[in-house]
Amino acid sequence: MESKTTKKKTILIIEDERPLLEVVNSRLEKKGFGVMTARSVDEVFNAGLENKGLGIIAVKSIQQALDYLDDLEKIDAIWLDHNLIGKENGFDLVKKIKANGGIWKKIPIFVVSNTEKSETIKKYVELGVNKYYVKSNHKLDDIIKDINLYLAKPKK
Amino acid sequence: MNYKNKLNSVSNTIARELEILAKVKEGARRKLVVTAKKLAVTAKEKESTRQKLVVIAKKLAITAKEKESTRQKLVVTARELKRLHSTLEKKVLRRTKALEQIRSKNEAILTSIGDGLVVVDKEGKISYINKSFEEMLGWKSQEILGKSMVEVVTREDSSGVSVLFKERILTQVLSGMKFVADLTNPFYYIRKDKSRFPASSIVAPVVLNSKIVGAVEVFRDITKEKEIDKAKTEFVSLASHQLRTPLSTVSWYSEMLLAGDVGEVSPQQKKYLEQIYHGNQRMVDLVNTLLDVSRIELGTFIVESKPTDIVKLSQSVIDEHKLQISEKRIKFSSTFKGKIPLLQADPKILRMVIQNLLSNAIKYTPEGGRVSISILLGKGKDVILDVADTGYGIPKDQQDKIFTKLFRADNVIVKDTEGTGLGLYIAKSIVEQSGGKIWFESSENKGTTFHVALPIKRSKNKSGSWLQQ
Repeated sequence: MESKTTKKKTILIIEDERPLLEVVNSRLEKKGFGVMTARSVDEVFNAGLENKGLGIIAVKSIQQALDYLDDLEKIDAIWLDHNLIGKENGFDLVKKIKANGGIWKKIPIFVVSNTEKSETIKKYVELGVNKYYVKSNHKLDDIIKDINLYLAKPKK
Repeated sequence: MNYKNKLNSVSNTIARELEILAKVKEGARRKLVVTAKKLAVTAKEKESTRQKLVVIAKKLAITAKEKESTRQKLVVTARELKRLHSTLEKKVLRRTKALEQIRSKNEAILTSIGDGLVVVDKEGKISYINKSFEEMLGWKSQEILGKSMVEVVTREDSSGVSVLFKERILTQVLSGMKFVADLTNPFYYIRKDKSRFPASSIVAPVVLNSKIVGAVEVFRDITKEKEIDKAKTEFVSLASHQLRTPLSTVSWYSEMLLAGDVGEVSPQQKKYLEQIYHGNQRMVDLVNTLLDVSRIELGTFIVESKPTDIVKLSQSVIDEHKLQISEKRIKFSSTFKGKIPLLQADPKILRMVIQNLLSNAIKYTPEGGRVSISILLGKGKDVILDVADTGYGIPKDQQDKIFTKLFRADNVIVKDTEGTGLGLYIAKSIVEQSGGKIWFESSENKGTTFHVALPIKRSKNKSGSWLQQ
């Protein structure tokens, strides 16, 4: 109904705060994406990967995210928090994804974080993310709308 | 016959001689009469003189008596003086000893005051420094006594810009100007070895017979205080960041409830949820404001200065407030006179100032009131922004606090309007760091007008610590 293609868009959410992870999950699912949550790789696979279409993969750490990326064919967009579980943060994920090259480089990245440090924002822009949101300053639906609009744009 | 003739001749001769004698006798008798008269006169004069002499003699006698009595009095007085003199000498000696003790005590006190102390004469030349001064600044008393204080001990602001002679508090106080310390602008004292430390000082004139004869300055090293202040600000920054996560959670969950994401919501529930959402938004705004304040104080705002069109910026801010203006039925007007040149500023930050002033004007004006914005070219090399309203105004006795952190005037607190009390503090910090000025006039229940003057070119010696080109 909303999406122009028949295939569901896949969004990978990387967010360390569980309640936030869940509400974003839930909303994205309602907006026409599949849902999958995980706190660890094991949990994802135990939750029944086989039946659910690949929709949203929610992870809490870089390692989990990269594990998914290794397993999955296509991710349409990444929703990324800056502070994550583990030693690595959002910067590291973006660097690693961009370093993979090819289609990984082109995946749009939307950073949704509560950090507002100018240096942080500047660095993300330099690393090539699409947009930076300060979580508490935006409605959830507004961010989702933005992502939808971006994904609906014809790609070159 | 011969004998008769001879006798005749002789008697004639004798008769003639007798005649002559008679004449002579007469002459002599007349002379004697004159002489007798003269003698009589002389005798009278002599008598009168004698009487005068008697009077004089009497007077002399009296004078001699008085003289004697006076002489005796003098003797007494002389004795008395001698006695008093020796008493006085004893008193002076005692007093001198007492003063000496006081002086020593004062000297001991001044020397051991923990704060630095310097006394200057009316030309600003050092006449006394205490031990703390020597220790803090590295100068020995004999090295700088008699020299000009502001030349020997220079000060600079946090970015290393020297404070000019005429801007020195000491100079102003000595010339009779009243000086009010600006506590938001710290300065650093430069030691003998060119190192520096942050200081806080108080300068007071020394007045004798209504004339300024010198000044006294007391100063402290506030490094510790600044560190504590920095730690406090960093804490606020950290806490504010942490607060954002639960705030986001409440925000998005109430947003989802309101959107019916987990089921339909009754109108009553909707009302309650909206309150939750709104209350949460206020917290988000407060956190954002606190973070701005801490960024200003820590100097971590990174400013990207570029040629900025303040008119365009203002119009965009006005647009943001269109809804509020129409909801409150505010009569709004904007005036942009003449060709306003581009300002060298960071539009993000300048926007905050305009936003604060406009939203205050709207917030604190009752329904149907008037709010206006105007921008014009000032007389000096600056641009003037005015925001005026016909609102509640600021009571006269609270006007001096209006720019301080977390201050809200009583008359608006009572009206239940929302506000953090930080907006004007932030606006003032931004304006002043940009080299500008902000001031206002206000009358309770009549209205308020805020003025902001911003320089078109940034003056070289007023670069704020956190403003970078």
